Amino acid sequence: MPARNHNQWIAKPPLQQGEWIDSRIYSEQGIFNDEIEKIFKHVWVPVCHESELPEAYDFRTTSIGGEPIVICRGPDNEIRAFLNVCPHRGMLIERRPAGSFLEGQPSGNPKRMTCMFHAWQFDMKGNCVYVAREKEGYQDRLCKENVGLRRLRCEVKFGGFVWVNMDDNPSQTVEEWCGEPFECLRESLDAEPLEVFHYHKAIVDTNYKLWHDTNSEFYHDFMHYHNRITGFNDAYFARKNFAYKNGHVVVGTFEVNYENYEGFESRAELSFPKLPPNQWYMVDLFPGFNFNLRGSALRCDIVTPLGPDKVMIEFRGLGLKRDTPEERITRINHHNSIWGPFGRNLHEDLIGVAGQGATMSPGTEPRRILHGRHENETIHDEIGMRHYYDEWGRWMNRMPSEPDKAYAPPAVAAE
Amino acid sequence: MQANGHDKAAAVRDTIYRAALALDDQRWQDWLDLCAPVFHYKITSFSPEINKDMIYLQGTRKEMDSMVRMLPKHNTDHSPLHRHTSVYTVNVADDGKTAEAVSSVVFYQNMLDGNNSHIEAGETRLFLAGRYVDTFQIEDGKAKFVGREVKLDNRRLDKGSHWPL
Ligand code: FES
Ligand SMILES: [Fe+2]
Repeated sequence: MPARNHNQWIAKPPLQQGEWIDSRIYSEQGIFNDEIEKIFKHVWVPVCHESELPEAYDFRTTSIGGEPIVICRGPDNEIRAFLNVCPHRGMLIERRPAGSFLEGQPSGNPKRMTCMFHAWQFDMKGNCVYVAREKEGYQDRLCKENVGLRRLRCEVKFGGFVWVNMDDNPSQTVEEWCGEPFECLRESLDAEPLEVFHYHKAIVDTNYKLWHDTNSEFYHDFMHYHNRITGFNDAYFARKNFAYKNGHVVVGTFEVNYENYEGFESRAELSFPKLPPNQWYMVDLFPGFNFNLRGSALRCDIVTPLGPDKVMIEFRGLGLKRDTPEERITRINHHNSIWGPFGRNLHEDLIGVAGQGATMSPGTEPRRILHGRHENETIHDEIGMRHYYDEWGRWMNRMPSEPDKAYAPPAVAAE
Repeated sequence: MQANGHDKAAAVRDTIYRAALALDDQRWQDWLDLCAPVFHYKITSFSPEINKDMIYLQGTRKEMDSMVRMLPKHNTDHSPLHRHTSVYTVNVADDGKTAEAVSSVVFYQNMLDGNNSHIEAGETRLFLAGRYVDTFQIEDGKAKFVGREVKLDNRRLDKGSHWPL
């Protein structure tokens, strides 16, 4: 078709409802605010890995939907999550990203979470154990027992990831929420303890869903020289996408030929337990979490949406806790070769979604984004995104193709 | 320091600064020509988040050579990185055959693509900061890199980090 005039450009594409969406879901502040309230505050979020807080009194901080969270390991070895907010006057209790409560702080005692402002102290179960000049100020009207921290639902699951849900009464457990998509990796992840060896983050001017799309569709392997050269063969094109309840998707495995890229090597010798050599599984969890196992190294991406056109992505790499130093180095090298910040693929993915962010920034004309490829649910079929956006529509009660309208199931079933 | 040691320290500085110019100009082979055959390169950072020393990239001279030769096959952000390097210390070994140097380095990204090149092209942004920890062999008055560790302060790395630093 020749270049189109404006009417032609904005006309509906010759595809069924559900095979395209409206770009306003990537750019409107009101929709973004709704997503935080309706989705992110009710789903299980994998916030970190247990190996990041290996000892009693270790902590990590994070946030979900703008709400600050502290996660700590108690002397009983339990990992618990709390709102990182002081019940007195709202100070952030812990300001560092990670550390230990074992040592005292200038305002407080060892083994306590201490709010530095007026020195209220809390134990690892979130009990308030000290209010400075309690009786003098509150007499018998308010006491420690009234001012515990806000505890959050927290589970450690699927290879030791720490899952937090802001909803006190989540409709499903972590197992019910994503046990089925994790089935393909369960034995490999749970055979023995894992350990994080890589962490970095990127902040991109784009919508968080566009990052998740990039993790769920493989048609974009055309932009990755590495994936074309190590992948494109019959087994690759036969790779299936599997849609699961709750909007999750799994991309099935095949054998990658890493040696086809100059200087790269087979990952067969260091495969994760129970994983056949050089296999590659991808688990994409609604609304934006990704677990990617390529033979010897596991990658996990966690999105933190910062606005309709801004997202932070945290990247982790994991190996086996029992790795020898030599094995660990090999895993790190495998991880870095394509996924590291100086690797061959990650950077291309970031450029891709930043480019989408540029054309769909707030205030730009609504565009139609096509998700209409059907190829027998194999690797370049866009079923993953169709499945995701149908789930999104249900949570938001909006049509992804006409976000001002209430949700209705798509004409083409999301499969 | 002996006069001889003084000359050798100057040779080390000269190599570091020549490498900085070659890397600024993406003259990768000129950079590798300053490296001995046993050269080993790595980019590292410490993450307080996971409490680990991390390696973000590493390779032998041969591996770095493949990497830079393969760059044109990959998509890239086109904004060039330029660095400001200051050599802080040079320690020449007593036998005068090897040396170690520590430099401070700051990387600037001179925006060409940005997110919207119409708006952002032409602007310079602070991209990364850290140190070069280098080791050298010295022969015939010339210093060649034996090892370079780029110790980054950063754990946030946005698009643009596709190249050796
Ligand atoms: S705000 Fe925390 S003790 Fe006052
Ligand atoms: Fe990709």
